Amino acid sequence: MLAMPYPERSIMSQKQQDLLGLGRLEYLQALVTEFQVTESSEAKEQVLANLANFAYDPKNYDYLRQLKVLDLFLDMLTEDNDTLVEFALGGLCNLCLDKVNKDYILEADGVAAVINCLSCSNEETVVSAVTTLMYLTTPQSRQQITALPVVECMLRFSLSANRRLSNLATIFLEDYCSPLQVEEARNLTKHTALGIPLPKN
Amino acid sequence: MAAASGDSEGGEVGGVYQHHAQRAVCASRAKYREGRRPRAVKVYTINLESRYLLIQGVPALGVMKELVELFALYGTIEEYNPLDDYPAEEFTEVYLIKFQKIQSARVAKRKLDERSFFGSLLHVCYAPEFETVQETREKLQDRRKYIAKVTNCRDQFQVKKQNLNAYFQKTFQPDAPGFHTSEVATNNWNLPAHICDPGQSPCYKLSLNNAASASEECYQNTLSAPQYASDCAETSAYCSQRTLMPQSAQHGIQSILAHHNLQRELASDSGVSRFMPRTTQLQERKRRREEGNKFALIGKDTDNTEIMIGPRLPEPPKIDMDDESLNTSASLIRNKLKEVTLPVQVPELSGEMSLNIPTKPTVKQRRRI
Repeated sequence: MLAMPYPERSIMSQKQQDLLGLGRLEYLQALVTEFQVTESSEAKEQVLANLANFAYDPKNYDYLRQLKVLDLFLDMLTEDNDTLVEFALGGLCNLCLDKVNKDYILEADGVAAVINCLSCSNEETVVSAVTTLMYLTTPQSRQQITALPVVECMLRFSLSANRRLSNLATIFLEDYCSPLQVEEARNLTKHTALGIPLPKN
Repeated sequence: MAAASGDSEGGEVGGVYQHHAQRAVCASRAKYREGRRPRAVKVYTINLESRYLLIQGVPALGVMKELVELFALYGTIEEYNPLDDYPAEEFTEVYLIKFQKIQSARVAKRKLDERSFFGSLLHVCYAPEFETVQETREKLQDRRKYIAKVTNCRDQFQVKKQNLNAYFQKTFQPDAPGFHTSEVATNNWNLPAHICDPGQSPCYKLSLNNAASASEECYQNTLSAPQYASDCAETSAYCSQRTLMPQSAQHGIQSILAHHNLQRELASDSGVSRFMPRTTQLQERKRRREEGNKFALIGKDTDNTEIMIGPRLPEPPKIDMDDESLNTSASLIRNKLKEVTLPVQVPELSGEMSLNIPTKPTVKQRRRI
């Protein structure tokens, strides 16, 4: 038996519902609105985290698409605030396996934006980025995702002492790249001393 | 290639990871975003989850057995061991527990984090850094399969239904004269199931094979839980017994409908695996009990010794419980109760639904109006 729906985390509590008498869509709408109007970066982070956690449960995908939350996540990837980037990428990682969402993200050139996040210094962000890239791989997007600089970066990650990161990078190299691509990147790394910096822990 | 040097202090197994540090609870949430429990601001992704749980804050009282027993309540534990080298507060120990299924780890974490255990608060978190490459790979694959299953399941079980319809019509067509009507009935009855577009789902071919295969195999394929399988086998035996009886015109229809009904529901049931919370299960059990009583009462009300023949009026619509899965289980239970309660609780009732007809041949038949 596969994983079952994930209880509680992304389901609003009875209390929350009672408070506003809202359905799921309205609740999500309220979150998006607050995100857009608030001046407080703290509230922005909290709401984005909320939305990203809602993105874990496929039941919410229709609503999230309706509310253009995918665009919201994609926009946040270029923010200066590391926390916003981390949460937005977590959200994308959570919803990008769904076919419709995947097509949407690819269409919006999400791959380039996610690749940029590989150089972040935040561990969670990088880990989400690697997984998201794997999940976004299709015959069409493969070329962009396994471009030489990315493979080179994964090669470095695969040697990291951070087990989570090295596991994911190893999977990326073994399952998504051809041996030839890996070899090519390996040769390149030999010549350059500097690469993309690894995330701080 | 010393790429990895100096980039992560906590890299070694047994090191401290940032994601294990308990973050401060967020106290500034807007009212409408407040949850049941105070929580930190954190986004969960599949990367953060794991079958491995790290348990901090276990009092150093030699309570490993009790700890493992506590966690075993939430699923099979594959491995557990104390992490002696892991930095811990004074007089506490740190343990690592590996569950067989990620879902067990999810529930255990949710239930046991922050829980008091021998006078100390446990801090439970996922420990994905203990996964092997293969375990991580499987975890990512499982998530992929889960999403595929959930987002495709609607198509899938519609196609299954359709195939089952075809299968049953084919199977039951040729026999007794009464089956002419039965076929029509089945056809009408199933109209809504034909709306879907069969070409879209990838499981279509597979289901076709199922439909073509021998009946038992088909049951096996479409059923997920063993108790359903036995239910179904029972019903089908019941059904074929019926078809042999000479006066079975309307019984044939009924049993086919019932059988068919059951099949459809079983099919949709196996389409999605649903998490049913315990409270729902309890409500369901209570309802089942009440339903049982109701059936017994109805049995007494309609108590008579006549056998009804002739076409049966359409049954009153069942209570809609606003949820396909609940409806499925409800009518599954209804069908089962029809079989079980009537012959046992009101044995004197020959009943259109019971199996006692052949044993009471003396009762006069009366045409239903």
